[in-house]
Amino acid sequence: MLTCDQYHMPTTLPEALALWRAAPEGSRLVAGATDILPWAREGRAGHVHLPAMIDLSRIGELSGYAIADGRVRLGANVVYQQFLTDDTLRAHLPCMPFCSIWFADDQIREQATLAGNVVNASPAADGTPPVLALNGDIEIAGLDGDTVVRRSLAVADFLKGPGKTDLRPGEIVTALTCDSLEGYGGSFQKVGQRRSLVISSVCAVACIKTDPAGEVFEDVRLALGGIGPVPVRLTDIEDMLKGQRITRELIAEASSIPVTRVASRTRQDYRRTVVRGFVEAAIDDALADTGAPVPVPREREKSHV
Amino acid sequence: MSDIDLELQVNNRNVRRRAQSHQRLLDFLRDDLNLTGTKEGCGAGECGTCSVFVDGKLVKSCLMPVAKAQGTTIETIEGLAGEGMSGAGDLTPVQKAFHKTGASQCGYCIPGMVMAATSALRENPAADIEEIKERLGGNICRCTGYSKIFEAVEIARDVISGKIAATALDADGAGSSYIGNNVRRLDAPSKVSGRLRYAGDMVMPGMLHMQVLRSPHAHAAITSIDTSEAAALPGVACVITAADVPGEDGFGVFVHDQPIMARDKIRYVGEAMAAVAADDPPTAIKALSLIKVAYEDLPAVFDPEEAMQPGATVVHDYAPDNVVKHIPVRKGDVEAGFADADLIVEQTYETQQVEHAYLEPEAGLAYVDHDDVVTVVSPSQNITHHRHMLAKIIDRPINKVRFIMSPVGGGFGGKEDMIYQGMLALATMKTGQPVRLVFTREESIISTAKRHPARITYKMGLKNNGRITAVAFRMISDGGAYGLSTEGVMRKAAILSCGPYDIPNVQIDTYGIYTNNTPSGAFRTFGAMQAQFATESHLDICAEKLGLDPFEIRRINMMGDGAVTHTQQTLGSVSIGQVLDAAEQSSGWEAGAPRMRGPERSDLGGDGTRPPCTLGARFRTSGKPGRQEVA
Ligand SMILES: Cc1cc2nc3c(=O)[nH]c(=O)nc-3n(C[C@H](O)[C@H](O)[C@H](O)COP(=O)(O)OP(=O)(O)OC[C@H]3O[C@@H](n4cnc5c(N)ncnc54)[C@H](O)[C@@H]3O)c2cc1C
Ligand code: FES
Ligand code: FES
Repeated sequence: MLTCDQYHMPTTLPEALALWRAAPEGSRLVAGATDILPWAREGRAGHVHLPAMIDLSRIGELSGYAIADGRVRLGANVVYQQFLTDDTLRAHLPCMPFCSIWFADDQIREQATLAGNVVNASPAADGTPPVLALNGDIEIAGLDGDTVVRRSLAVADFLKGPGKTDLRPGEIVTALTCDSLEGYGGSFQKVGQRRSLVISSVCAVACIKTDPAGEVFEDVRLALGGIGPVPVRLTDIEDMLKGQRITRELIAEASSIPVTRVASRTRQDYRRTVVRGFVEAAIDDALADTGAPVPVPREREKSHV
Repeated sequence: MSDIDLELQVNNRNVRRRAQSHQRLLDFLRDDLNLTGTKEGCGAGECGTCSVFVDGKLVKSCLMPVAKAQGTTIETIEGLAGEGMSGAGDLTPVQKAFHKTGASQCGYCIPGMVMAATSALRENPAADIEEIKERLGGNICRCTGYSKIFEAVEIARDVISGKIAATALDADGAGSSYIGNNVRRLDAPSKVSGRLRYAGDMVMPGMLHMQVLRSPHAHAAITSIDTSEAAALPGVACVITAADVPGEDGFGVFVHDQPIMARDKIRYVGEAMAAVAADDPPTAIKALSLIKVAYEDLPAVFDPEEAMQPGATVVHDYAPDNVVKHIPVRKGDVEAGFADADLIVEQTYETQQVEHAYLEPEAGLAYVDHDDVVTVVSPSQNITHHRHMLAKIIDRPINKVRFIMSPVGGGFGGKEDMIYQGMLALATMKTGQPVRLVFTREESIISTAKRHPARITYKMGLKNNGRITAVAFRMISDGGAYGLSTEGVMRKAAILSCGPYDIPNVQIDTYGIYTNNTPSGAFRTFGAMQAQFATESHLDICAEKLGLDPFEIRRINMMGDGAVTHTQQTLGSVSIGQVLDAAEQSSGWEAGAPRMRGPERSDLGGDGTRPPCTLGARFRTSGKPGRQEVA
């Protein structure tokens, strides 16, 4: 059971930052609460008593999104279901609807934030690989005296390991900023023990842009999750594919390379097998989403034996 | 803990209440507004029994701190049916459709399912079956199964859209017989509306809340328990331990080897050692942390075969060989049978421990009534036996002990054991106040009985024509720390060991063995599942070795009408032949020895199968880049 002395619901960022700075040690920020509440249960943290909980969900500045200069700025309160139901977000972040449909379930997606997912820094987080593929930056605010100071850094640098980030005491994440990939095709692959409500054993994301004829890879973004302490971006494979003609052989060759990136503590053989299939499937599905013809025959099992 | 002044709308009624900041929306609805149609199956977002609408969006109320509900509009299962906060109106088409299709067995998941179905149809009134499945993906059912639920959602969808007439929601006529006809369940309206109260939904004035201190060790002597500090905590009404048991302490379905709470030693992780009854759960939880227990570690045994060895750690002094029960059955002459065989196949099979995972975690409410009758309300699957055992344990005449069976939110055998009712009785006797205990999901998993893990060594002799000549069957089952139903499970496993086959010579030994694992108990099939897994797997292996079709080897050996089993029961009629025919036809069986593997198989990826890891039934790809549409 999670109990606390104070539960705050600030409505402005300066108010939240002031509360957060004044909060006794051990206090926590809360967004959707979908990580925090299950954490305070038997078998994990057990019964937890917090001095203060500061709920960010009513801060106007953290909600909504804005698109400018080829970047999408997602307020920290944006929840997963929006990636599925918001037409504009779907067009600009083409991998996110697929990530979202695999994330938890329809109900938890109404609560769970992408920012909370990234800050929680689980190696199996579904949201982080897409954010890496979208060249995501994280925006952070803190207080210097009474002045709100802001900084921004790449999500790749923000994540330090399982549960570890660059967030400093007194800071609050205000937004994630991603490339707008309008015109790209997107895809997301995930495997866990069941379909809904499951933590990824492995996940993979792709965003692909082709030439107008759909014959050449113009841009490729690939990332993997669940295979080591932090999700990884596959820049080597992206470089190998960019500018090349789209062929079955090339895709099969490219997808055999990231197998060596598997650095998880458990089930390495399984994950290696999955990774190869997933990278290929991610590319195929993203191509299909662009409307480009997927090179056939699409018999992944055979091309891998 | 701070309070929050909440103003919100619940089921069309304006509510202004002071809530406690640690409450979840789920607690507020259940405890403060008495809207108990919203259930807590897991408390961790995994089951969907707590689904409610917040500002029109379905969410899991166990994951929502109550402060987030400030100013919102909430709709619970009670509010779906129109009038009043507590569901006084007529059932909705979705609820009626659940009633119609029988989509309510224990009913514990059903309010959440109805909410998820309602949400699915509100989001997309034309959702097809795949999309419905996807949108209900966050809700688990353990007993109805999903077919009837999906069928209900499809009927409701078509009635709401006007595609079919509302009469589709009416009862089908039972005709002249209930058998073979679609008969509606009498209790379904109370389940689909959330009105049915399970034990954890019941409240009484002055009720105390119980929390249990559980063992962190698998095997240890308790050298002392000091409860004084816990008992002195303001808000605590009583702390109980084994010392509070006035009578003969011991319960179990067959052997009464289990004390109400650990007495002198603990035998498994999760065993109850002490319990607190307090004004509210947080106080009771705090009190648990003030109880001081001193232990002396004992060597523990976790493998039943190891526990059978001479000199092994003894779990119960009364059973120095650690055997709970050995059931031997002999028929004919197995050695002669093996000598007569053309082929002898030997194999070992193992099955694992399984949790029942009924959606209703254990819960009970006990009180002493005006006539001094100690009364326990709980979803017990065995109330009469519990009543007799409890009378002895609390040393009261049988007419001063009463058990009331509350609706069982799934049991599957897992609620046959009296593992917590005794604690409730002791606490209400000690305080004179009603006391309620509601398990968390974690507590239910760690402390209650599981299906027996079994290791079965099978030796079968066969003629080349497939006829079985002899079977030697040896099953070692892990009974865990206490006897519970082990004796009966071993007996049933021995009776059903060889399946519906006529075998002239058999030698059967089933053993239930004490270990320091979580106790094993009753679970659907009561031992037959383990035996059948071994028997049927073994027959497939034998069929492969003899080049026989698996159906054929079974038909060659199956019992017929009038057969006498190895326990001397004469069977008037035997239906295995019909069962095999039906299975063969409906499975699209390809005749022949089971030697086809991998790519040779033609039944993979065909009709009625679906590739793994696919999702996205609601995407409608338009063919244009980045232009998927979502239904
Ligand atoms: C049943 C279930 C299924 C799940 N399925 C998935 C899944 O499929 N894939 C997946 O990746 N995850 C899954 N999760 C985990 C969880 O839902 C996600 O990690 C979610 O995105 C967390 O977001 P939140 O808003 O709920 O975070 P919270 O629980 O509110 O917070 C998470 C952490 O982030 C911190 N935090 C939140 N917001 C900020 C901020 N703005 N600034 C600084 N710190 C902040 C909090 O202090 C906390 O430490 C699941 C959880 C449950 C219970
Ligand atoms: S999902 Fe909330 S109780 Fe299980
Ligand atoms: S009816 Fe679904 S869990 Fe019992």
